[in-house]
Amino acid sequence: MFYREAGQFKTSYAADMAVFPIRQDRIGLAVILMIAFVGIPLFGNQFFLSSVMIPFLVFSLAAIGLNILTGYTGLISLGTAAFMGVGAYACYKLTTFFPDVNLIVWILASGFVSALVGVLFGLPSLRIKGFYLAVATLAAQFFLQWSFVRVPWLYNYNTSGAIEVPEHDLFGIPITGPNALPETRYLVLLTIVTVLTWFASNLIHGRIGRAWMAVRDMDIAAELMGIKLLDTKLLAFAVSSFYAGVAGACMVFLWYGSAEPEVFTINQSFLILFMVIIGGLGSLLGSFLGAALIYMLPIALRVLPASLGVPIAAATVEHLQFIIVGALIIFFLIVEPHGLARLWQTGKQKLRMWPFPY
Amino acid sequence: MRAPGDGHGIMAGDVLLAVDGVSLSFGGVKAITDVSFDIRKGEIRAIIGPNGAGKTSMLNVINGFYHPQKGRITFKGEMRRRMRPYEAASQGIARTFQNVALFKGMSTIDNIMAGRTLKMHENFFWQCLRHGPAMREEVEHRRFVEEIIDFLEIQAIRKTPVGKLPYGLQKRVELGRALAMEPELLLLDEPMAGMNLEEKEDMSRFIVDVNNQYGTTIALIEHDIGVVMDLSDRVVVLEYGRKIADGSPAEVSSDQAVIDAYLGVPH
Amino acid sequence: MDILYKIFVDPFVQMGAAPDLLVQTMWEGLVAGVLYALIALGFVLIFKASGVFNFAQGIMVVFAGLTLVGLHEMGVPAFLAVILTLGVMFLIAVAVERVVLRPLVNQPDIILFMATFGITYLLIGIGELIFGGNPKRMIAKELYLPSGSVEFQTLGGFVQLQKIDIAASVIAAIMIAVLAFFFQKTRIGRALRAVADSHKAALSVGISLNQIWVIVWFTAGIVALVTGIMWGARSDVSFALQIIALKALPVLILGGFTSVPGAIVGGLIIGIGEKLGEFYWGPLVGGGIESWLAYFIALGFLLFRPQGLFGEKIIERI
Repeated sequence: MFYREAGQFKTSYAADMAVFPIRQDRIGLAVILMIAFVGIPLFGNQFFLSSVMIPFLVFSLAAIGLNILTGYTGLISLGTAAFMGVGAYACYKLTTFFPDVNLIVWILASGFVSALVGVLFGLPSLRIKGFYLAVATLAAQFFLQWSFVRVPWLYNYNTSGAIEVPEHDLFGIPITGPNALPETRYLVLLTIVTVLTWFASNLIHGRIGRAWMAVRDMDIAAELMGIKLLDTKLLAFAVSSFYAGVAGACMVFLWYGSAEPEVFTINQSFLILFMVIIGGLGSLLGSFLGAALIYMLPIALRVLPASLGVPIAAATVEHLQFIIVGALIIFFLIVEPHGLARLWQTGKQKLRMWPFPY
Repeated sequence: MRAPGDGHGIMAGDVLLAVDGVSLSFGGVKAITDVSFDIRKGEIRAIIGPNGAGKTSMLNVINGFYHPQKGRITFKGEMRRRMRPYEAASQGIARTFQNVALFKGMSTIDNIMAGRTLKMHENFFWQCLRHGPAMREEVEHRRFVEEIIDFLEIQAIRKTPVGKLPYGLQKRVELGRALAMEPELLLLDEPMAGMNLEEKEDMSRFIVDVNNQYGTTIALIEHDIGVVMDLSDRVVVLEYGRKIADGSPAEVSSDQAVIDAYLGVPH
Repeated sequence: MDILYKIFVDPFVQMGAAPDLLVQTMWEGLVAGVLYALIALGFVLIFKASGVFNFAQGIMVVFAGLTLVGLHEMGVPAFLAVILTLGVMFLIAVAVERVVLRPLVNQPDIILFMATFGITYLLIGIGELIFGGNPKRMIAKELYLPSGSVEFQTLGGFVQLQKIDIAASVIAAIMIAVLAFFFQKTRIGRALRAVADSHKAALSVGISLNQIWVIVWFTAGIVALVTGIMWGARSDVSFALQIIALKALPVLILGGFTSVPGAIVGGLIIGIGEKLGEFYWGPLVGGGIESWLAYFIALGFLLFRPQGLFGEKIIERI
């Protein structure tokens, strides 16, 4: 009744092609952004900011990256974590060489390094498709993970084999290192994620996004219409790896503060894949919803029983998490293969009709 | 909708595409054997024949999806070497498919817009921003696509995901997607298969209109002989991968070899 | 030039200088390859019959091994534990068919593939919850599997073969022969092959798809148990095996997803290739290349023969 496009007439194609054509949606988005940029930093406590919101944003960004590749272009990747690693190590090396340059520049630059590596490992998509390609991405996962351990240059020959993030300032305010407040780290990350999500949305709604989806839905027809398959796929690999790389750099610089190669294992890749599946393949909103569910689930599992007075051992929580994630995946695939995002759409549709059944 | 360019000074009635001695086989199976024919600018050319005669394979050869072992293909006066399908597309060959090959996850508009890909050039940077030149380009092509939508009378389904459309409408959207490419040569692979009479009449009207209004050359595979006889200027008949007849509908329909192919030879 | 020498000449000089070492390395590769081939085999069975790219085959191996050892730890005699484990694998097959395959029938391949991720996580969680996450020792002795080793004096040196490895190869060969017989000669085998060719056609002649699926998943479960015992006897039974089991994927790429002989040959090529690579070329880059070499071998191969060793050339139709 209240959520409807009735009475909102479009008088130009530009208005009709807007990402959020319905006024209520635009208001909703503005409210969410207000809460994210103002409300949460003002009222959120230290734990909520650094252990819930920051990781959630990092994983959302990585999930958007994977969704571009898998959800929009139809290429399965099992190597997202490795590309996050490339971003993290690239950013680490760049800041070592040029410590005085603004960190944001290097975070974005490391995305480009990751994109380059992504294109390299995307090259086999010229000849191979589907599950076969998934194996190519496994090659990336294991090779890159190996190089994080075996190439000491990458971690500046530290004896620990880990990378440590020194303090960096942005306009005189520390944004990384021990002195950086969670609020500042959160706001920097939120800005990056907001801008990159906007870019992704623009790409998807334009010529490039249509080419990606065309390749996903029917590659032969796409090629016969003049879409170059290899170029389109490689671009998807590049953009996807860029997002993963930036997410990885943010993960180490704005969240962990240090990282070991173990952070970028195949299990991490799987987790991000699950976020995309459960959130919804081919949906940006789904990337956020999936990241929220998969990341917050273990937190809820830890916090809830404790607050109810039922003690559960940490190991048991971990095992339960596996079981619940596994069950959720199967449940969602059966009930709604298009994920949380589709549930949201269906709900909106119902709301549009309400209180009438049709 | 603008008429497509006249293509290197080829006038109506000149040969647009020539197939010369083409043979194609898969492993040991011969799909096409030594077939030659031509398609003239501005005509509707039908390719008919019993099932398995190699009609679809012929279209696949023309738009570069299959590469024949022998023979030559000349398009707009230029002989082609092995070419990729997207090159054929960029030279002005568009195509619809026997089993509808739409992009099922996308809306009608997006499907037809995808047909404009070759005409859109704004770079990655502007695409990221979706403002300025990229948006202007998007709006300009949207206008063109809306003209096609009006032409095909599919306004009501412009935002529906094509996977949910009934078969007849899907075929129409597919025709729209091919038209969006502003092709010089339009290949239609059984555009009326599985349609009822009314839908066939609509589709026939669209095909004739496209041919008349925009001068688009059309090569058409169709099983409905009535439709073929009414629509086409010239007909080529294939059987078991060989050409058995070529000429006007009247000539072909009285050809003994064609009658034998369709009705069988008494033994 | 020096680096070229080290890559292209030196390893072969080493091989020639110590042929016994070469044979030893190849033997180890062969044994690893047999185990990869076994995992790939379970995978091929399921892929052929249900078109499902079963990501969970690796974890089924671990789960079967864990269940066996776990049951024995609870005091069940070894051979009874084997039978009970088979029972568990059967229950898993039934559950997978009921809960996962039946509701997802006719969904795109990718959805089913993702669903097997769900199965993987479920099995990991349940396995760890019941049996704990610590590595366990396989009850090799209780199952009368041989231990120790034999040595041959050949080629100017010694070649040492672990008896358990020999046993593993022999048992693998027997199992493959039995499976081949089962598929070629029995009624169920014929039904299975019919389903592999076309689901719809098989349905139309009265073959029950549901039954067939249970059978293949159970067969894959048996293969998983045998693999789990053999692998467990060589090292430990632990979830680390799951990562190693991923190497069945390059094996499948080499062999083609639907070819049983392909899985075996592919397994041997990958096993021997990565051991030789690690031993002779690994030191040049600091070692540990075993973790990714298999994928690169498969990738390189794929660029030249996208349909795999034994697969048929794919003709795309539109």
